[in-house]
Amino acid sequence: METTAGQIAIGTARLSLWERFARWRQRNRQPLEGWLILTPILAYYSLFFIFPVVADLYISFTRWTGIVGKPVWVGLANYKTWFSGYYLLILFNTLLFTVTILSLSTIIAFFIAVLLNQKVIGRGLFRALWYIPTLTSAAITAQVMFIFISPYDGVFNAILKALGRPIVIWPLNAFWMRTFIILFSVWRGVGGPVVLFLAALQGIHPEIYEAAMVDGANSWDLLWRITFPLLRPMLIFVLITGTIGGFQIFETVMLITAGGQFNVASSGGPRNMTNVILLQIYKDAFVNNNLGPAAAGSIIAAILLLWFTTTNMRIMSRGQVEK
Amino acid sequence: MRRRFTFGRFLTYAVLIIGSVVMAFPMAYAFSGSLCDLEDFYAHPWFPTPSKLYLENYRILFSAKFTSQVEIWRWIANTLVRIAWYTLIPGIVAVLAGYVFARLRFRGRDAAFMYLLSSMMIPGIVFLIPTFVMMARWPGVGGNDWRGQGGRGFLDSWPALLIPGLVNVYYIFMLRQTYYSIPMDFEEAARVDGASTLRCLKDVYLPMLKPVLTVLVIFQFVAIWNDYQWPLIVSSGNKKIWTLALGFQQMLFVGASYKGYPPGSAVVDYPFSFAMAIIATVPLILLFLGLQSYFVEGVQGFAIKG
Repeated sequence: METTAGQIAIGTARLSLWERFARWRQRNRQPLEGWLILTPILAYYSLFFIFPVVADLYISFTRWTGIVGKPVWVGLANYKTWFSGYYLLILFNTLLFTVTILSLSTIIAFFIAVLLNQKVIGRGLFRALWYIPTLTSAAITAQVMFIFISPYDGVFNAILKALGRPIVIWPLNAFWMRTFIILFSVWRGVGGPVVLFLAALQGIHPEIYEAAMVDGANSWDLLWRITFPLLRPMLIFVLITGTIGGFQIFETVMLITAGGQFNVASSGGPRNMTNVILLQIYKDAFVNNNLGPAAAGSIIAAILLLWFTTTNMRIMSRGQVEK
Repeated sequence: MRRRFTFGRFLTYAVLIIGSVVMAFPMAYAFSGSLCDLEDFYAHPWFPTPSKLYLENYRILFSAKFTSQVEIWRWIANTLVRIAWYTLIPGIVAVLAGYVFARLRFRGRDAAFMYLLSSMMIPGIVFLIPTFVMMARWPGVGGNDWRGQGGRGFLDSWPALLIPGLVNVYYIFMLRQTYYSIPMDFEEAARVDGASTLRCLKDVYLPMLKPVLTVLVIFQFVAIWNDYQWPLIVSSGNKKIWTLALGFQQMLFVGASYKGYPPGSAVVDYPFSFAMAIIATVPLILLFLGLQSYFVEGVQGFAIKG
């Protein structure tokens, strides 16, 4: 870069092969470095991300134990399974859990982050308290939290008894089991969005607010006309990751509904009213050794998710156009 | 104006305090419960309060008799190995690939980026079955022939716990966005001084990427520490390579047999399982509290300097 005209003149006069290579390397530095870095990443990615998708698609049209023998082509049979009987209920449950958990935790997280972004005393402590549930293991806490809904010695029933109300046999009550799973998931999941929103909020320059206040905006205007639009990228991120997470709710349902004990066969109850896609996939693949329906379930989940997230983004960007 | 302001402040604190109490209640319940013996625990169904300090639940967890049968130290060590591996490799990959996508210009770059992004919309569920089959049918290992038949492949052995998930598209995306938010001037100044790409990455970008890398480390640490499903699927048969979440989950309710209750009795020792849950959670809480100030400082400093 710092070469003078004189040097170039001498350089072009007699170029050794090495010099020419060095020049060529210098000129193509960006593609060379780019492909040097990307090649191993793309190779690994093709083997562990693209190939599995193709394989999964193939398995979904077959009957296969995965242990011995070859997959047997069965056409759409596995997909028909997913759209009949209690499998439909499983799809419904997954959508129900995803929508309720995601909307509750996003709304709560947004307002908590806005509150925490003010000059509050003990902000660190509050944020830690909101984030700590996210740190806990879903597998361990889900099983331990069964104490809250245990029919005989549980906390909620103790409260009901103290209020003179009839007790609820939680594991047999679909409504309350669903509610408990939703509450548990919001409790465990809301901390991440709080931290993310708060980080995004703290990235907003105070001058923007000051300028708006000079222009006569009230705090409601500040929230909806400055904070919210500036948080939109983070909001999209939270919504998409949240949807993907919600579709793959697994340990929570399996271990809460297995009655505090490890019994996969009875999980998702009562009568599949809390069963979700991933739990059924797990049961089909690893309990019943039936990979076909499991693979079909994952493809269905992926398609639903794609539809969900694109709708999500369309709605979000529609808001952007209006501004 | 002034009155509304104070009322707003009051409301802010009220919401924050009530919300935080609700959020803290389950873990506080578990912690307090872990300090109870069974009588105390069942005497206070609303909130277990120990009448005397009872540390037996924790003592059992670290007693020689327990650890010789339930190898919790090994599970913790296994988990730490996985954490080191799964922060280092995806972190390096994200730093390098993020740089490529944000800073280098060449033909095919955007196609490669779209290729990577194409899996972002595909949920992990889709990878579960084929990746399991790949591990089980990996040619030439674990008694498998070259066609992957006959043996168990990588199942119940270490590679199954270390091979998948080394490229994380989220982190690549996150790093790319962060590079975009850093002005080009820094790199250009270093280039003028003759710095190579690696040197730019190390000396120019790495210090500025600290906040986002801290986020990456925290998230990976927590994710691997709590990783349950994949170890459950590929390592259930080999207790030696169990990780913490799997091992603890399987052993949560064995406490009663160490307190003199006959084996197979119907006593569910909740206080003991609370102690296990607390032990499994405390390192993460300490990590978060320790890094929180750094985290905040990083994010804020980033916002001001950037």
